[in-house]
Amino acid sequence: MSEDFDLLFKIVLIGDVSVGKSCIVTRFKTGNVFTERHTNTIGVDFSMKNIKIGNKRIKLQIWDTAGHERFRSITSSYYRSAHGVIIVYDITKRNTFLSLQKWLNEIRNYTASNVVCALIGNKCDLVEGREVTIEEAEDVCNIVPEVLFYLETSAKENTNIEGAFTRIAEELMNRQSCIDDENQDGIKLGQSKSISNGNCSC
Amino acid sequence: MSEFQEQLLHADEERIKICRKYLSGRNNQIIDQWEDPDFGLYYKIDRYGFIHTDKLSRDFDEQERKEKEVEIQRAQKWLKMVKNWNKFKETNREKLQRRIYKGVPDKLRRSIWLKLLNIENQMSQPSDNKNEPSIYNKMLLLGFKYSTEVRQIDNDINRCFRDHEYFRERYSTKQQQLFNVLVAYSMYNMELGYCQGMSTITAVLLIYLDEEEAFWALNTLMIDKKFAMHGLYIVGFPKLMRYLANHDKILTKFLPKLKKFLDKHNMDSVLYSLKWFFVIFVERIPFSLCLRIWDIFFLEGERVLPAMAYTILKLHSTKLLKFKDMDAITDYFQYKLHKNFGYTDNFVIKTLEISLNELRTRKMDLPPPSDNIELPKCELGTFIEPTIEKKLGLRSSCFSDTEKNVTDLVIARSEENGNSLDVIDENLADEMSNLNTVTNISDYEGELSYMDDDLDDEITYTNSHQNRKSLTCTSITSISEDRRSISTLNQQNFEEIVKDDDGEYRFKELISNSIDCNT
Repeated sequence: MSEDFDLLFKIVLIGDVSVGKSCIVTRFKTGNVFTERHTNTIGVDFSMKNIKIGNKRIKLQIWDTAGHERFRSITSSYYRSAHGVIIVYDITKRNTFLSLQKWLNEIRNYTASNVVCALIGNKCDLVEGREVTIEEAEDVCNIVPEVLFYLETSAKENTNIEGAFTRIAEELMNRQSCIDDENQDGIKLGQSKSISNGNCSC
Repeated sequence: MSEFQEQLLHADEERIKICRKYLSGRNNQIIDQWEDPDFGLYYKIDRYGFIHTDKLSRDFDEQERKEKEVEIQRAQKWLKMVKNWNKFKETNREKLQRRIYKGVPDKLRRSIWLKLLNIENQMSQPSDNKNEPSIYNKMLLLGFKYSTEVRQIDNDINRCFRDHEYFRERYSTKQQQLFNVLVAYSMYNMELGYCQGMSTITAVLLIYLDEEEAFWALNTLMIDKKFAMHGLYIVGFPKLMRYLANHDKILTKFLPKLKKFLDKHNMDSVLYSLKWFFVIFVERIPFSLCLRIWDIFFLEGERVLPAMAYTILKLHSTKLLKFKDMDAITDYFQYKLHKNFGYTDNFVIKTLEISLNELRTRKMDLPPPSDNIELPKCELGTFIEPTIEKKLGLRSSCFSDTEKNVTDLVIARSEENGNSLDVIDENLADEMSNLNTVTNISDYEGELSYMDDDLDDEITYTNSHQNRKSLTCTSITSISEDRRSISTLNQQNFEEIVKDDDGEYRFKELISNSIDCNT
């Protein structure tokens, strides 16, 4: 198999039902398509996108999970090999923000300890319906050590979608090069064989 | 007021707000523009009601025209059969099965589904008091007052078949019905409540059936031994786990090369087959084919599911083996096969018959039975107090043991699949002969005609004949025994709510009043 990338990162999207996880993935993947009516994600959906950061070709494996609580027994089994996790909530539904603690618990229980985490407040185009302030979300970001950064996005208007994925990829890339520098045997990333052998655990 | 009480009140208000919207329908409320999809530019609605934003090809039109023509020719025979259903079922089972495999005329689908799922019998239960609302109405009333699944159901309706004329408009009549059926069922079968997937199943039922019929059809699919989908949807998905294990075994045995390929690409069946089992192939294969599978599923029961899953992979094995990465494989399973299956519906059904026979011969047509009961443990209609977290609409903090087991199981599955590559080698030789079978059928395809019953007897390949013989052994409906328990519903609970009604029974107002009382 030819190697058409230098690094491979697995990113899992989690968050309450209907916060727009699948819309974010579709928007990121296609660039110009916003699907207003996604069907519900049953279990886990998978897609890929190649991006370039500097001179590195990066392949992102994106795992879009069902938000329905009943499916968490299946979705959580996909956390463990993730390099990055994006927690999504809906800025117009406070409940989805309040669930954050539960999602963080799931991350702590089921992912590797060095996972990179981002918090995304989606649907920021719906200004009038806002129920969660930017400050509140930033507070979470400051208090919770796992959460690396916070961004508000709109899958509908294509705001910050690519930025969110790029930023998480950059962070993973930096960590990767640190590890390379220290010559540690930590994350085994890159090389197409990490896909074929399923060795991309960290 | 404590914080907890406040939260509870908030959850209640939210539920009532949602229920109100569905009660009002499209009139009498302002619907946010965002709620309705924009289909201003649509070109065509297909014969099943789906709206296509791309102009349909001429081939598609031509295919529809042909299908309709054949169906008109067959309709007379079908009408006769429906009229004398019970007699026909007893004396002419083989013909009934043959006809269903050949395709139910769309116009008669409703009647046939009602018969196959034994709906009429369930609905015409004798009641002591004529003024007393039906079980369905009682459940609906209770559901509006107490169901903790309202939010989830509302979320899912908002994205269910929005490209279908019935479900396109927010709070349309069919959306209202879908909401009602799911809310009522979440009360009727509280062990199950509501799980994603059930909205899709119910929506398909509602394309053909009325509200109350769809409720009973859903119930049949969940609790009748023949389908027993209850076990697919409950926490921990015990039945799904058995199906996945069986599916892996089938692949290892019959399609080892493909199995090896999928394992190599980390394509665990959890990733591609969930919707096949959960929603009986809806939105994974073209709708016309899907309906044919549903017809056969209603006739034969759950053994259709493993056989159809196997059939899809068998027919597409050669194509799949050419893909280079997970992305392409996923795309194929999720979108391409739905848009264009690449084989005619009739051909797929023929292949399905062969698959059913192959699996039956090897005793792999169904997964080994479960040690645990996967049907409701309590009597249907029993009220089970929801947890506080459920009442508040929050995720529960801890994973239950069942959930933990499933997580471990799914992890173990993917690891095992990675390790099982050696076993598969042994079966590789067999696979080549299986693929040959498929080629053989395609030789026949041109010769097969589906225009007339009598021609059926002339179809020469033996597999299908053997298959039909064995088909006659399966029963059509087994629900009537199971329904006995329903008559002993927890009456007291409902009477409290319906008592105030002074003679004339006005259901809608009753609900409105009852949610008002709550506020």
